[in-house]
Amino acid sequence: MNGLERILATVRFQVPDQVPVIPQVFGHAAVARGVPLERYLTDPAELARCQLAAREDYGSDAVFALLDVNVETEALGSSLQYRKEGYPTVAQFILERPSDLSELRIPDPRRAGRMPVALEAARLLRREVRDRTLVAGCVLGPMTLACQLLGAEKALFASVDEPQAFERMLDFAVDLALSFGGAQLEAGAHLCVVFDPSASPAVVPPGFFRELLAPRLRRLCAGLKGMGALAAWLHIAGPVEPILPLYPACGVDIANLDYCVDPGRARAAVPGLCLEGNIRPLAFVDSEPRVIAQACARVLDVARPGGFILSSGCEIPLEARLDCVRALSAAVRDQGRP
Amino acid sequence: MNSPSPTGNPEPEPAGIEADHPRLVALLMDGDSGAAMVAARRLRTATEAGPIRVVEALEAAMELMSNKCTSEQFNLLEIMLTGRAAMAVARDTFPEGTAPSTKGTVVIATPEGDVHDLGKNITRMVLSAKGFRVVDCGKDCPVAVMVKAVAREEAFALLVSGLISPVVPLVRQLRPRLRESGLAAVRLVAGGAALKQCTAEALNVDHVASDAFDCARYLEAAKEGRP
Repeated sequence: MNGLERILATVRFQVPDQVPVIPQVFGHAAVARGVPLERYLTDPAELARCQLAAREDYGSDAVFALLDVNVETEALGSSLQYRKEGYPTVAQFILERPSDLSELRIPDPRRAGRMPVALEAARLLRREVRDRTLVAGCVLGPMTLACQLLGAEKALFASVDEPQAFERMLDFAVDLALSFGGAQLEAGAHLCVVFDPSASPAVVPPGFFRELLAPRLRRLCAGLKGMGALAAWLHIAGPVEPILPLYPACGVDIANLDYCVDPGRARAAVPGLCLEGNIRPLAFVDSEPRVIAQACARVLDVARPGGFILSSGCEIPLEARLDCVRALSAAVRDQGRP
Repeated sequence: MNSPSPTGNPEPEPAGIEADHPRLVALLMDGDSGAAMVAARRLRTATEAGPIRVVEALEAAMELMSNKCTSEQFNLLEIMLTGRAAMAVARDTFPEGTAPSTKGTVVIATPEGDVHDLGKNITRMVLSAKGFRVVDCGKDCPVAVMVKAVAREEAFALLVSGLISPVVPLVRQLRPRLRESGLAAVRLVAGGAALKQCTAEALNVDHVASDAFDCARYLEAAKEGRP
């Protein structure tokens, strides 16, 4: 089986030749090769080169046409501060108040900000790997984009103080994600990771997720799959156990598990959902390959019945040790075969 | 329980007032800033001990929120709403400069390279509502600025909140930098998504707080001389 076949078989709970492995390597792919992060985040050819090199080095079953969490807000007009040794950050959010949303229009992903970089990266990666490796794009989920438009503190207070305007922001975020995601799929991505860390139960109550976010995630997942995404991959960090049972009704096919979630309990909560995770991200910086191997062994025990992708709990840090990242695919070779 | 009067005996509270304390606590827990301020004004003007009852209500609300945190049912939004309401009541009860900072001064910051300050802001709200004087050095803050602030403000603790892993090496520098400045006795507390993945030993700090309330409990214990 190639990487894409392995992942699709796993999502469908068929038996793959081995457990798929996807280190969540984004900017680390550049840092590990001495490429300035800013160049990686603005040059699609460089991004594609680094991702392909990381795939070879780490034995990943996927590559990521993914820049950072600021692509959408930058395309809408937020100003960013680029940094030498880290991801850019928002210097000025585009919205002062939720009611200012009426002045925003969905941007054209072929022209706005760095959206074209993401599209071109998806095209280049797909051209190279064809259907041998999964090409993953990325869109922000509605809660995270709302936070990226206003700033997290203002957005959270707005959800209570101006609920109607806040809900309009969530709807706008879904429309934008469908537009940007559709363009990524057209460019070559097999699917788009829906990245929504601000929807975590660590940030908003499960009831908030159920009432405000789940219906919108359902529309987003259905829309992406309707435009050709091979699966819906929802990435929410933190203690997701209380909201996991809501994922299947949202149309989610792959659920990210952060390091703080017990995989066995998650498996019991959603037996029919493909899980992905969940090695502690900082372990790739402050640990040793043998410790990673031990952690993988514990996770792979849960993965035996299928429906599990071995990965980090969240993004692998920029400064991760290469030998620790390599330990993921080594663990699959050693322990992840039927 | 009624507050003692100047003579040392419990002072009878006017009819209806006894309900204002639990009402204020409930409003704070609901995050209803406006109604909480109205209830607090009523409570504090009803008797001589009114301001003390308001402080008790603030502490009770924070205690309830703290208990909720340890039962793993907490989230930032609820803490923010309660914190905002508590801050509004505290500011209204004790105008600028008159607040009793009974638990000492702490300095808080998000280290240089990290601009995610939501966790820091929530911790600031919780600690302020619990009676600490909190000096906020902001986000993206150099180590030297934090150390200077600790010395200037005579703080007994320095708190750092980090969401991203590149701040880890900066946090490790804090202990030696404090020591160089003659501030070896200052307690160091780390928190935030990235720093929470490390042990106190790995970060060279005294405590890694799991959340804002854990941080408050640690500081209260430190103030009382407990390890």
